[in-house]
Amino acid sequence: MNSIDQKEIHDHIDFTGNWFIDIGILGFINLMEEVYGLDLESIRVNQIDKKDFFYAYFVYYIKKTAFEWIDRQKLSKVTEDKKSSFEETKKNVLSEIEKVVKNRTTTYDDDVKDKILDINSTIKNIVKEKFKKYENDLKKSFSNNKKTILQKIDETGIIINEPFFQNLNFLNPTTNKKGNETKVLNAFEKMIFNNEIKSKLTKDAVDKTISKYLFSEEEFPNIPYCKISTLNDVDKLTNRTTILFLLSFPIPFNSVYDRNIVFYTNNLESCYHINKNIKIRIQKVKDENPDTIFKVTWQSIVDYITEQKSTFSLENMYLIEYETIQQQNLIGVEYISIPKLQASILLDDKIREALNTRIQCKSANEGGGKCWLIEEFIKGKSLYSIILNHINLILTGVDHLNWAPCLYGLLVDAHIADFRGKNKTLFSDNFFDNYRALVKEIKDEVSITTFSSSLISKISDDVDTKRRVARDLYSALCGKDKNMFLNILLKNVNENKELSSNRNFYNWILEKIISNETSFEMYGLILIMNLLRREKNE
Amino acid sequence: MNEKNIYYWQKVVGDRPISMDLEDIRKAVSEGFKSESTNYKQKLVYNLLETIRNNDQKEFFYILLKAINKPKKDYTLLLEQLNKSYDVMPEEAFTNFAYTVLIGIMATYDRGEKNE
Repeated sequence: MNSIDQKEIHDHIDFTGNWFIDIGILGFINLMEEVYGLDLESIRVNQIDKKDFFYAYFVYYIKKTAFEWIDRQKLSKVTEDKKSSFEETKKNVLSEIEKVVKNRTTTYDDDVKDKILDINSTIKNIVKEKFKKYENDLKKSFSNNKKTILQKIDETGIIINEPFFQNLNFLNPTTNKKGNETKVLNAFEKMIFNNEIKSKLTKDAVDKTISKYLFSEEEFPNIPYCKISTLNDVDKLTNRTTILFLLSFPIPFNSVYDRNIVFYTNNLESCYHINKNIKIRIQKVKDENPDTIFKVTWQSIVDYITEQKSTFSLENMYLIEYETIQQQNLIGVEYISIPKLQASILLDDKIREALNTRIQCKSANEGGGKCWLIEEFIKGKSLYSIILNHINLILTGVDHLNWAPCLYGLLVDAHIADFRGKNKTLFSDNFFDNYRALVKEIKDEVSITTFSSSLISKISDDVDTKRRVARDLYSALCGKDKNMFLNILLKNVNENKELSSNRNFYNWILEKIISNETSFEMYGLILIMNLLRREKNE
Repeated sequence: MNEKNIYYWQKVVGDRPISMDLEDIRKAVSEGFKSESTNYKQKLVYNLLETIRNNDQKEFFYILLKAINKPKKDYTLLLEQLNKSYDVMPEEAFTNFAYTVLIGIMATYDRGEKNE
């Protein structure tokens, strides 16, 4: 390879192997794509122009923020007629903003800052003009419900809001006020051209100011041992202008229901395609219920992996998420990698589809939480306890039974427990075979168990009796009391001669519950589910 | 009966492993009780259930042995099994053993009779 090739490779944008910067790179690519309509390849090859970035960044955020603000506008106490005309106006405003942003992207001659200011004021004027006639009816939805959108827009300098960067002085609401527009832009300019992030302490420190995932410099715990790393250090390491990527960090996060999620894998193309697919599909089902959105995200990932038919797989993927930002802190942060065992199981269509569901696992008084089974599964948590809670809600009559997810969840759990009991070493034949045998076992088990356990519903024709038995069995399971569980079960079955002498049934009980020390609870719960299931059909 | 279904339970006591083949026990019990009347067996099962719940091994074996102590009926297979596995067992082993016996008895209920 000659030196020119070397240089070319250096200029290409590629992942660095550090997720923190890589997600920024992904954000940068998304940004360029969104604003200039470039494709992945050309963004990677082209030289990065900081002015282009400057312009793109503000246009992207002004549009995004304006859309968000307008989206959440509502009227208070008005007639249906006025409401529908208001919805119409909202749509109009959005499409006009879209036009403004699009028209401005084609000319590059004038100064970047002037262009941004121009777009900003045009959008402000559009909003003011269109919403003027609703001035008295608008709900106050800003600054703790004290201001309407008109007041807010009147006070704000540049329409830009990114909770992730509230520590950056230019995005701080106290700085970003009417009349301060140029000041904001100058601060941003300093940041990307001179690496000046803050005015106090180390000016170019890579700390909480630039990313919520880091420490703040004041609290930096390693000071006795080393200095805090600076942008220059990181630039040297990665051979890039990292500030651009750090600023783009929040862009690739997809908002999935109540959390922000990004899927990270160490290959730029895969990572880009997967996240893009998710974004597009989420857009499509935006108005449907949140459960659909959850299904869609996993579908996108697995579709991509199946399409690629490559060795690339789920095991190389990380899921990074945070719920929200409060008081400048990230809430509910999770970094989840997908273990090989779980990845192999998830690649099976049927199992994945069943687990790709949210089930109610807390009652309304406890916050009414729902659990996304697939997520708990890849975290390596036991699904049994979640499903146990779900069944409890059904017994108290709060919710209806989610059959397939519970059945698959319990069987997967049971088989993993058995598997772990038998295999003491990690690198067994199974490991290199991608746990194929295990997946097959689980699927076989589904058909056997579905049939044999469903026989229990013959125990009685009476719904109330079945419910009573289910409740008794449930309390025995909660106490992990196998003796009590079997006692209650057999006492009730004993009344029914036909069921008692059913070979499939007693063989199943003997194998799955009596002679099973590792996973009898899961099978027991399946019996309870069957008792509750018939009830629903009737 | 499918030969592959061998249920196996094992516990190590001292240096001597004790094991029970639950499926063999079930078969022997079924074989022994097949000619008894269903009503009688149902009552027997209720009585035995009570003793297992209290983990009362003495009472369990007392009732069971009383039931099979009938020279005219053939309980040879079951007696062989009992001879092999009768012992003072730890609670979990006893639970597994006892419920297997019950399943064995219940498996022989006559389906044709009306459920009273």
